[in-house]
Amino acid sequence: MASSSLPVDTTGRIAPSGMNRVRTEGPARGADAPLIRLENVHFSYPAALAADGLADGPEGEPPRTEALAGISLSVRPGEHLCILGGNGSGKSTLVQLMNALLVPTSGTVEAFGFDATTMEGALEIRRRAAMVFQHPDDQMVTSIVADDVAFGPENLGVPQPEIVQRVDAALEAVGMSELAQADPADLSGGQRQRVAIAGALAMQPQVLLLDEPSAMLDAQGHASVQRIVQRLNDRGIGIVHVTHFMDDALLADRVVVLREGAIALEGTPEEVFAQRDVLRIMGLEPPFAMRLAEQLAHAVPDLPVTGDAGLLAHDVAHRISEGADDLRATGRDVPTLAAAPAHEAPSAQAPGDAIVFDHVSFSYADEASPRRKRSRRHSTRPAPLALADASFCVPRGSLTALVGCTGSGKSTSVELACALKLPRSGSVFVGGIDTVDLARRQELRAQIGYVSQLPERQLFAETVRDDVAFGPRNLHLSDDEVERRCTEALHAVGLDPSDGLMGRSPFALSGGQQRAVAIAGVLAMRTPILVLDEPMAGLDPAGRDRMRSLVQRLRSEGVTMLMVTHAMDDVAELADHVVVLDRGSVVAQGSPRHVFGQSPCPAPGLPAPLAFARELARNGVPLDCEPLTLAELCQALLARLPEVRHHGAAR
Amino acid sequence: MALRVSIGQYYSATSPIHALDPRVKLVATVVFMVSCFFVSNLPALVLAAAFVALAVGLAHVPLGRLLAQIRPIVLFLVVTSVINLFFVQTGDLLVELGPIRVFSGGMEAALLYTLRFFLLLLAGSLLMLTTQPVALTDAAEKLLAPLERVGAPVSQVTLVLSIALRFVPTLSQEARNIVAAQTARGASLENKGAIAYARACVPLLVPLFASALRHAENLGRAMDARCYTGGAGRTHYHVMRLDPRHDGLAVALMALYLAALAAINIAL
Repeated sequence: MASSSLPVDTTGRIAPSGMNRVRTEGPARGADAPLIRLENVHFSYPAALAADGLADGPEGEPPRTEALAGISLSVRPGEHLCILGGNGSGKSTLVQLMNALLVPTSGTVEAFGFDATTMEGALEIRRRAAMVFQHPDDQMVTSIVADDVAFGPENLGVPQPEIVQRVDAALEAVGMSELAQADPADLSGGQRQRVAIAGALAMQPQVLLLDEPSAMLDAQGHASVQRIVQRLNDRGIGIVHVTHFMDDALLADRVVVLREGAIALEGTPEEVFAQRDVLRIMGLEPPFAMRLAEQLAHAVPDLPVTGDAGLLAHDVAHRISEGADDLRATGRDVPTLAAAPAHEAPSAQAPGDAIVFDHVSFSYADEASPRRKRSRRHSTRPAPLALADASFCVPRGSLTALVGCTGSGKSTSVELACALKLPRSGSVFVGGIDTVDLARRQELRAQIGYVSQLPERQLFAETVRDDVAFGPRNLHLSDDEVERRCTEALHAVGLDPSDGLMGRSPFALSGGQQRAVAIAGVLAMRTPILVLDEPMAGLDPAGRDRMRSLVQRLRSEGVTMLMVTHAMDDVAELADHVVVLDRGSVVAQGSPRHVFGQSPCPAPGLPAPLAFARELARNGVPLDCEPLTLAELCQALLARLPEVRHHGAAR
Repeated sequence: MALRVSIGQYYSATSPIHALDPRVKLVATVVFMVSCFFVSNLPALVLAAAFVALAVGLAHVPLGRLLAQIRPIVLFLVVTSVINLFFVQTGDLLVELGPIRVFSGGMEAALLYTLRFFLLLLAGSLLMLTTQPVALTDAAEKLLAPLERVGAPVSQVTLVLSIALRFVPTLSQEARNIVAAQTARGASLENKGAIAYARACVPLLVPLFASALRHAENLGRAMDARCYTGGAGRTHYHVMRLDPRHDGLAVALMALYLAALAAINIAL
C-alpha cells in the first residue's frame, strides 16, 4: 500500500486491523496522503454558545452566526502547520474540529481515515491526534505530575510497564523529569504547560494539536514551549499550532491565516509574511525583524524577508561595516561609539510619590488580615519572604513598570500597594496614606484602582451597567454621577455606552468586550492611581494595541499607573520608570534606559530593539546609542545605512 | 504561588511507614482505630500505645507535626475527660468534696477513654502524614474494586475525588483573586445585617461559580481529548504490589497486636 490513495470511507467504518498499521509517520500511506482532511467545512455554535468567547465577533460588531464558513484544509504527515488568526477568527474551532471535539454543521472532516462525525471515528482520531489547550490548569486531573501524564495512556488501556516507559520518555522530552513527583499547583505556568504537552505526548500521537498553548505564558514559558514544539517536529511528530503570535509561525512548514472563519492566506511563512499590509489589517503583528525590515525598506529595499532577528542583524551589520570600510578607505571619519548616556540616578523618594514602599517585607506564612492592625505577631520562626526589605516608589504621574520572573514578588507587591495585604515590616504609602491606617482605608480606596489579572473573571452583575456601577456605588455617589461615570468609563475603553450594551449581561459579551467592561468598572471609580496586573495577558495583537493606546491616553490624562508586565517591549515603549524584582528583592529601578543599560541586565529580558543593537555590536557594528524602541533603532540605523547606499551607488 | 492550601498534611520523608503499600496502611489504620474501642483496661491501653509508638517511631515524622494535627481536638478531649471524671459514679468512692464525688470508675473512664481516643486520632493523622492523598484515593479504588462488579462506579468516584483534590488550590487562589479585585472596588462584608451580607456576597460568589463552571467545561473537553470514556478498559500507571517482606511484616505485626489485645481482653 506504499503509495496508494487514502483508504477513505466516509462512513468511518474501516477495519481496525488496517488502521493499526498506520502508527508510523506516513511512509506506509504515501508521502502526500493527508492525515487530516477538511472539506468545505462550515460550523456554527448553538445560539446560546455564540457569545461565550469561542465565537467572538470583532469588537463592536454583532457576532457572526458562522464560526467557520467553508474551510478546506489538509494536514500532511510530519508537517508543522501553523494556523494564525486574531480573536474570533475561528482558529480554535478549527483545531477542535480536527480532533473531533466538535462536529461540523456541514462538510466533511476526516482524519487518519476515520470520519469525525461518528462516535467510534472520534475516539480513533483522538488516539492519534493529541491536543494541548490554552489553560494548563484545566487539563490536569491529579495532583502529581507523573500521574497526570499517565492519564492518557491509562485511558487507552496501555499495559502498565509501557505506561511507565511512556511517562518517563514524555517527561524527559519536555525537560520535566526532575519534577515528576511535584504538585502542578506548585509549578509555573510554563512548567504546567510543559506537563500538559507531556500528557499529550504520552499518548504517542502522530499529530500534536496545540490550541494557543502560549497565550497565558510569560516570555520564558513561551520560548520553552516553542523549543519543545520544534524538537518534537524534528522527531517526526506532526504539529498543528493555533496561535496569534506570528513569531510562532516562523518555524512552520506552512502557515494558514484565518479571518472571519475563512482561510485568508496560505503558504510558507516567507510567502505569507510578505503580505504585510494584509496581515496588519487582520490584526496580526509581524515578528520584530520583519517590522524593522519594513521600516528600513525605503532606504534599503533589498533586506531579506526573515523573522530571524539574528540573521537580519548579521545582514545589516555586514552592509554597515562594508560601507564603513569603504568610508575609511576614502578617509572619512567613522562615527565612533559615543559614551553610553549618563546613567540617571534612581529618583529619590520624594514625598510627592504616588506609591512608596519603604523597606517592606512580607511573608504568606504569617500574613495578617488586611482588616486588622498589625497586632498578632506570634510567629517567630523564620518564614520564606515573598518580599524582602523592598523599597521603591512610583512617581506621581508616571507609568511605572513592575517586572520580574514568576515568583519574584510582583503580585505580592501589587496586593500590598492596593492595601489588600499588609506588610509584615516596613510601610506602604499610597498617596501619602499608610496602608495599615484603617481609619483612612476608605480614603485610600478612592485613591487607588486595581485592574487584576484577567479582570473579566470578576464580572458578576446581571447587566453591564450594574457591573460598571458597582465601584462608584460603593463610593456612595449620586445616581446621576454614577450613570455619568459609567458612560464615560465605557467610552474610554472603546465600547459604545448605548442602552443596548448597558442592559446586556456581561457574560453574553465576547472575551475582549468582557475585559473592556471589567476595566471600565475600575476606571469608573476615577482613582488618580491605577494598578494594572498584566493587562495584555491573553489578548491578541489588536487587543494589545487597544490596551496600549488606553494606557497612553490615561497617562496623558495624568493618571499614575503601576503596571505589572512580562513584555519588555511594552516597558520600553510605554513606561517612564521601571522597578525590577527578583526573588522578593528590588534589584534595579530607574528609567528604562538606565535599567536596560546596566550590564548584566537585571530585567528578565531586553526589548527587541536593544537586543538587535547588541546583536549588531556582536557582529562588529556597535551603534552610538542604546535604542529602546523600534523608532529609535530605525533612526540610528538609517543614520548609518544611507551612507552605505550612497557610497554603494557611487561605486 | 507562595501560599497554597493542601488537603491532608502529607509530610514527605523516606521511612518504612511511608514505603508501605497504601492499601495495607489504610486497612491497618482502620482496623487499629476500630480496635481502640476494645481497649478497656490498662494493659490493653499500654499495648495499643506501644503499637502506635512503634509506628510513630518508624515514620520519621516530627512529633510536633503529628501533635499539631490533633491540637484542635485536644480541648474536646479534655472536656469529655472532665465530664467522665465527675459523672461516672461506679466503683469505689475515692474523693468526696461537698457535692463533688470522684469514683474509681470515673477515674478509669476519664483516663482510659481519653487516651484511647487520643491513640485513635494519632493513628489517623499518621496515615494522612505518611500517605499522599492521591495514593489514598488509589488505594480506596483498589480496595473497593470488587464493588465494580455489582455496578458501583468506583473508578469514576475516585477520579472525581482526585480531580476535586487537584482543583482545591486552583479555586482557592481564584477566590482570593476575586476577593482582592472586588475589595479594591469597595466591596465589603463587614458591619452588615444578614440580608445586606448575603447581597454583599454576590459579587464574590457569582464570579467564583462562573469560574468553576468554566474549569469544568474546559476540563471535560480536555478529558475527551485524552480519550477518557469512563472506567472500562482503563489500565493503571501505579501497580500496587505487596512486598512480602515489608508489607508482610506490617500485616504480621498487626495480627500479633490484635491477638495480644484479644488475649488481654479475654484474660481480664
